[in-house]
Amino acid sequence: MSILADKNTRVLIQGITGLQSSFHTRRVISMGTNVVAGVSPNARDKSYLGVPVFSSVHEAAQKTHPNASLLFVPAGSVKSAVFEALNEGIKLIVSIAYGVPILDILEIHQKIKKCGAVFIGPNTPGIITPNEACLGVFPEGICQQGSIGIISRSSTLAYEAILETNRAGLGQSTVIGIGDDMIAGTSFNPLLDLFFSDEQTKAVVLIGTTGATYEQEAAEFYQKAKNKKPLIVYITGFEEENDMGYASDILTHGKVTAQDKKQLFKNAGATVIDNIDDLHLALKNLI
Amino acid sequence: MNIHEYQAKKLLKKYKIKIPNGAIAYTPSEALSRAQKISKTGPFVLKAQIQSGARKAGHFTSDNTKNLSGICIVQKLNDIPLFAEKMIGNTLVTPQTGKEGKLVSKIYIEEFCVAKRTFYLSFVINRIKACITLLVSRATDNIVELAKNDPKSILRIHFHLNHRVQKKDTLQILKFLNLSEKYHNNLTTLIQNLYRAFLNLDATMLEINPVGITKNDEFIALDAKISFDNNALFRHPDVVLMHDDYEVDENVLRANRCGFKYHTFNTGSIGLIVNGDGPALAARDYLEKLGYQTACYLDIKGGVDEDKIAQSLKILMTNPMVEGILINILGGFLRCNLVADGIIAASKEIGFNMPLVARFEGTNKQMAQEILQENNFDFLTSDSLQDAADKLIKAMKENN
Repeated sequence: MSILADKNTRVLIQGITGLQSSFHTRRVISMGTNVVAGVSPNARDKSYLGVPVFSSVHEAAQKTHPNASLLFVPAGSVKSAVFEALNEGIKLIVSIAYGVPILDILEIHQKIKKCGAVFIGPNTPGIITPNEACLGVFPEGICQQGSIGIISRSSTLAYEAILETNRAGLGQSTVIGIGDDMIAGTSFNPLLDLFFSDEQTKAVVLIGTTGATYEQEAAEFYQKAKNKKPLIVYITGFEEENDMGYASDILTHGKVTAQDKKQLFKNAGATVIDNIDDLHLALKNLI
Repeated sequence: MNIHEYQAKKLLKKYKIKIPNGAIAYTPSEALSRAQKISKTGPFVLKAQIQSGARKAGHFTSDNTKNLSGICIVQKLNDIPLFAEKMIGNTLVTPQTGKEGKLVSKIYIEEFCVAKRTFYLSFVINRIKACITLLVSRATDNIVELAKNDPKSILRIHFHLNHRVQKKDTLQILKFLNLSEKYHNNLTTLIQNLYRAFLNLDATMLEINPVGITKNDEFIALDAKISFDNNALFRHPDVVLMHDDYEVDENVLRANRCGFKYHTFNTGSIGLIVNGDGPALAARDYLEKLGYQTACYLDIKGGVDEDKIAQSLKILMTNPMVEGILINILGGFLRCNLVADGIIAASKEIGFNMPLVARFEGTNKQMAQEILQENNFDFLTSDSLQDAADKLIKAMKENN
């Protein structure tokens, strides 16, 4: 078991033949992902790296029935790519793009909600279930199948957490980068919920940062959750950066620091660590 | 990206939002001639153009200007050069600039506008609810404190993208502000225009603090702050041209041009080269545990251009605070070998030879380690962040 993606997930890759995406598509396939189709607007070849390529998401969906889509399209095209996938009824969409305009994200958010779909990203390494499926750009060979679920806002700290779970000899069930943009496609809570009901997952690692309130909500969720598993939390962020004006501090009812967020998790009964390198020790103590 | 008040007001004027008559000046004599055109008699308001809030609560640093704030009311036309002289070329410190303050190179001169009431109004991207939120407050000072201690003192109305400003929105605001319904039409127009500006400009924050009500019952923007979504600037070449390079540190600007992020702290001796805030923060947290401060960090994100990487590395390598470099790269999209190539190229060019320890993980890690080891430099590599930091501290001690 795992969450969101496994060996049965039928993955479509939108923007399969770009310069950077061909490098990563090759790796996605080599990590065992069941890639059923690719889309490239000017598809000259009928297949690429052994994957059938179509000129539209509609055609790809009709012929290969994907149930998840990985977007390797540039930031400015993410919105239209997400809408195309949603129109074909695809319920899991991952975008790794960096720099998607915030108003585009708001629009995506509204439509995702309406369709009851899950949007992971942008600005994330994506999702990986080791040996089964990789919908993203995780480094090759660092994941080991195991029992720890990881959710991280920072891409690179997700990699760090993967190495730490390996160091503890526990491996990962599924790893998800939710992204560190102004607004994340999916927040911590629905993913925590999935991990808590996943048999393979024995504990969850949550990596948060300053800004927004995903951590506060997750701490509250954890405190109230009936069916829960051990949770280890690392939160770090730069605090001295000042926004111009008052508006963003008004929204959060004053400045919220990494320390404030950590305290909420401590109060909620989670294990909070101060250095990411302490993660393997914390995991060993818990399990 | 942020812009100055005078630029924000110019933009708002295009959206039919009323602003006081005003003009920008770079010298005291220019200030006088501009003021003459604005009003024959005065009074005037002189406003320091730096990108910071709370200018009124700020003070200048030189001895003869200490009692002046960033916003001065000048009664007589003839006094304009005297005040302008004190403001231009001096450093203004506000609660938002940090104690080093910001140099004032230009001032904005406005006719003094008599307002019978003022209030706070802003539109902002709401990260929590994934929508756009309109904030209104009766108070115009210490608003963050108010929001913290008395949440009800701020009115919040949440807008979705396809929201049309409706009568009930305006009525709610009027009631909250204790204003009569005679203001209904003017306020609706103001809110509609501001919301249109917010969306059209891809703003992340549009703040009018304060909005004034004139004797003719019109709403006027007495101040204006706009922050833009950097990710959407490609849609607004005219806004990009408004960027004031002098507001940003030269090195930060150079890194930004390569698409990277460079940040300096005022203390510390270690430079970090990372991809993403995460590895920078993890390294900073661990170095702090060892008793060492971070002087600066360069975030090369998902960079794939070798030349840009080498160009930016030079910025950090030539920072005089830096006595040692820690590289913490966890390559996913980014390929470690490109960073290693960049380090060698930049080191050769500037003759860099300080302690440097690289911790590479992820995509093309092996290649990267080989590149660093097969050169004439004494660069070290490591497989974990802790070990890399320990090695660096040891090498720095030996170097001293």
